[in-house]
Amino acid sequence: MVLAGLESALLAGSVWGLGAAFLLPAIAALTPTAPAVLRHAVPRALAATACALAAVLGGVQLAGSSGALLAWWPGLPGEPFSLGADALSAPFVLLFGLVGAASFAAHAPSGSPAGAAARLALHAGFALCLLCVFLSRHALLFLLCWEGMTLLSAALVAHDLRSARGRTATYVYLALSHVGAAFIAYALVTLASHAGSFQFGALADSFSRLEPHARESLAWCFTIGFSVKLGLVPAHVWLPLAHPEAPAPVSAMLSGVMVKAGLYGLLRFAWQMPGAPPEQWGTVLLVLGVASALTGALYAAVESDAKKLLACSTIKHAGVLALATGLAALLAANGQREIAGVALAGALYHAVGHGLAKALAFLSVGEAVHAAGTRHLESLGGLARRMPRASFGVLVSTLALCGLPPFSCFAGEWLVFQALILGFSAGAGQLRLLAPFAGAGLALAGALAVAALVKLYGIGFLGRPRTEAAAAAHDAAPGAAAAILTLAALPFAWGIGAPLLAGALAAPLAVLLPGFEAAQLSEHAGFVLVPAGLQSSAIAPAIAALLIGFFALAARVWLRARRGGAPDVRIAPSWSCGMRLDSRMQYSSLGFTKPLRLIFEPVLRGEREVEVLEEGSPYFARKYRYRSGLPEFVENTLVAPFVQTVLWTSEQVRRLQTGSLHLYLAYLLATVVGLLLWAR
Amino acid sequence: MPAAILVPLQMLLLVALAPAWNGVVGAIKARLQMRRGLPVFQRYRDLAKLGGKETVLSEDASPLARVTPYLVLGAALTVCTWTPVLTTQPGLGFAGDLVMTVALLAVMRVLLALLALEAGTTFGGMAASRHLALSALAEPALMLAVFTLAIAARSTDLSRISAAVAATPDAWISPSHLLALTAMWIVVISETGRVPVDNPVTHLELTMIHEGLVLDVSGHHLALLEWAAAIRQMLLLTLVANLFLPWGIAVEPTPVALLIALGAWVGKLAVFAVVVAVTESVTAKMRLFRVPEFLGMAFLLALLALTSDSLLRG
Repeated sequence: MVLAGLESALLAGSVWGLGAAFLLPAIAALTPTAPAVLRHAVPRALAATACALAAVLGGVQLAGSSGALLAWWPGLPGEPFSLGADALSAPFVLLFGLVGAASFAAHAPSGSPAGAAARLALHAGFALCLLCVFLSRHALLFLLCWEGMTLLSAALVAHDLRSARGRTATYVYLALSHVGAAFIAYALVTLASHAGSFQFGALADSFSRLEPHARESLAWCFTIGFSVKLGLVPAHVWLPLAHPEAPAPVSAMLSGVMVKAGLYGLLRFAWQMPGAPPEQWGTVLLVLGVASALTGALYAAVESDAKKLLACSTIKHAGVLALATGLAALLAANGQREIAGVALAGALYHAVGHGLAKALAFLSVGEAVHAAGTRHLESLGGLARRMPRASFGVLVSTLALCGLPPFSCFAGEWLVFQALILGFSAGAGQLRLLAPFAGAGLALAGALAVAALVKLYGIGFLGRPRTEAAAAAHDAAPGAAAAILTLAALPFAWGIGAPLLAGALAAPLAVLLPGFEAAQLSEHAGFVLVPAGLQSSAIAPAIAALLIGFFALAARVWLRARRGGAPDVRIAPSWSCGMRLDSRMQYSSLGFTKPLRLIFEPVLRGEREVEVLEEGSPYFARKYRYRSGLPEFVENTLVAPFVQTVLWTSEQVRRLQTGSLHLYLAYLLATVVGLLLWAR
Repeated sequence: MPAAILVPLQMLLLVALAPAWNGVVGAIKARLQMRRGLPVFQRYRDLAKLGGKETVLSEDASPLARVTPYLVLGAALTVCTWTPVLTTQPGLGFAGDLVMTVALLAVMRVLLALLALEAGTTFGGMAASRHLALSALAEPALMLAVFTLAIAARSTDLSRISAAVAATPDAWISPSHLLALTAMWIVVISETGRVPVDNPVTHLELTMIHEGLVLDVSGHHLALLEWAAAIRQMLLLTLVANLFLPWGIAVEPTPVALLIALGAWVGKLAVFAVVVAVTESVTAKMRLFRVPEFLGMAFLLALLALTSDSLLRG
């Protein structure tokens, strides 16, 4: 009873708080007499608090759900709009809350007061829609929030319309999102018409009672729609365009949380509602997941734009999520429910773990980008000494996103590897052929991601500054720095607490795979993570972290004792073979991944153009123009022909429209005659 | 013998003997090339000398550079706590498995690459770039090669894999085992920076990879990193010896069995040393951009090992 009361309060607090944070700056910006504090400080604090409440709500829900609902009549005939967290949405709400609170804490006003207020209003509105996507229990409300989420975030992506890049990004994002939304809307409305109700409970009932053919085709519609949001190949092209364009706190929510809404949709509408999905569904997701992981990691490795690199890395991790989900479906369809549970636990755990690390990455890289005035790694460098707090955030997120222990992404990927190996050994159907390739893809993508992220931190933050702006960079403002440092603790906590926290996923896992006991994932008082019920392998991230720390400290103490207090370290200029060290002598971002570009040349098909502008002597030209680029493979092979076809068709259709009135009258006549003939 | 003694004992063996292996390879190579060569234990003297010296850090280096060498050594030592050296009795096997091992090796690699970029010099960037590109191919091959064994053992626990392979004496005749072993050996050659991938005795900028990473490091930090690199090499060799060819390893840790296991382990390492020394004496280093083909071969062999496993065991 107390829990239910607490839950309703948290639910109402988070939703109304975000609503108020959405309206307040909008109203304050329109009333010139409103005090300035209402435009920014107050709504920002409100939004951050509301997000923190949402995080608590997610945590409470994971601990034990009582199903409190927030319902109101929208004035439409039918049922009330209702919001409420349940077991499946709990991990996503938790992730949303944690990332959202940090995102609003790091949101700094910039530009004109009215513009800043508008941006904050959009940010809060976007967060509200995103939260309601996870909380909706009503199909129409879900669709409204889904659309609101897309439109408001598109407005934030488009905040700089003067740049052609921003316009293209917004256009591609809106276009692709609406293709996805169309599939989702069609499927949801069809389902609602079968059920005669918009409530999720009724939808689930009628979905599982549909005849298999109709059920599967609807599930496929949902899958197509949500995989666009998740950023799976070939619908991933919007991600590296749109995520970097938004302001950093918004990018953090886009990459950290909104992408996970795609996973939530897949699990809710293609798994929970229709019942365990068929084998082909698992196969398709697994194959798409491997393709996305490889594509994302490879393009992240060769990308020189810091934020774009992070967006590409999101595609990689979205691929891992799809792979894990597909693997779980394949295993469940073959009766291997235990191992399926391990894979699914990996997917859910990784969803939150990656969300935290990626949000941290965007926030801290955003600070650096803001300070140095550019996103290009070639113009950064040396920031680790100039902005230590922001750089610490980048370092932690780099290690976490590389999938290294003891940080957050390792535990999820470990569970996926366990499920792959055990599933292969169990000899489950198609998996015997798919698992080796999935394992190989996952390992290769992981290794490429390491190269990408080391480049991000190593080239962008270590060494010497490459430009004057980078040399003059100052550390993040106290508010943003506090948000970054607090958020930096979370990937670590999520990593070392894996055995304990994975057990907390029991409720959502039980919804998807009834009978699976997630508590079996942890052993020895929550220190050891094992694949549930199959005590074949184990890891203890906390103990490994302790051991590393212990040995490092022991080595330090031993060396110090041995050297007897002699001075430890002397600081001196870098030595460069006797020459004066110039920051241009450092490896550039492009040069850093040249070996990878050469190795993967057959896939990447890079373009390179060198033009001699001014001849000096035959051997040393005075001026060069050098241009290199990587054409987007999917864009060129899949999207471009489609666009060409559409353009060609419209060109042909345009011939009908000459602008001559006589011709239009003739069309009219021909149509009437045709209709008469047809009706006869 | 209880784990409380076995774990430190196995760790001690790995840590103490790690610098010697390079010395042995050097001595055999010197013999093959009709030279006298360095004493086998010269590496220990080098380490002791470096350990007593102060470290010079670049003024461009971030605070991370002060702790990196300790963390790298810490990660190497942590892997030692669960690697089966003499016995298949799990030591701290609950703390880490195969995936954790590969991941901690990756931690060392990432930290080293970052350290190389600290000083803002060209060599560090060059070495880090090459190192990461080659590891991007070597690491998946390593993972797949050992997965072939993990699948047979239905576990990623190193001790269990070792015990499972030891329990089936004719397992090594299977094509998948041989393919995986070949892939693993190529990976070990590459990851330890040996000919034909890298040459551990040169400092020629056109060729160096592993040496370039620590070019800007000096004094006791260098000693820590050199030692960590030797331990890492020892770990990889021990994985080959005790996962792929685990004969002689003690299943029950009785004193006699442990002595036999010690002999078997040292013997296998000696054989590896001879193989490496002969290879290094008769082959030349590959051109850098031929190496990806070499490593790609390892990746494909490992993938083939996994798939042939699935086809043959059907």
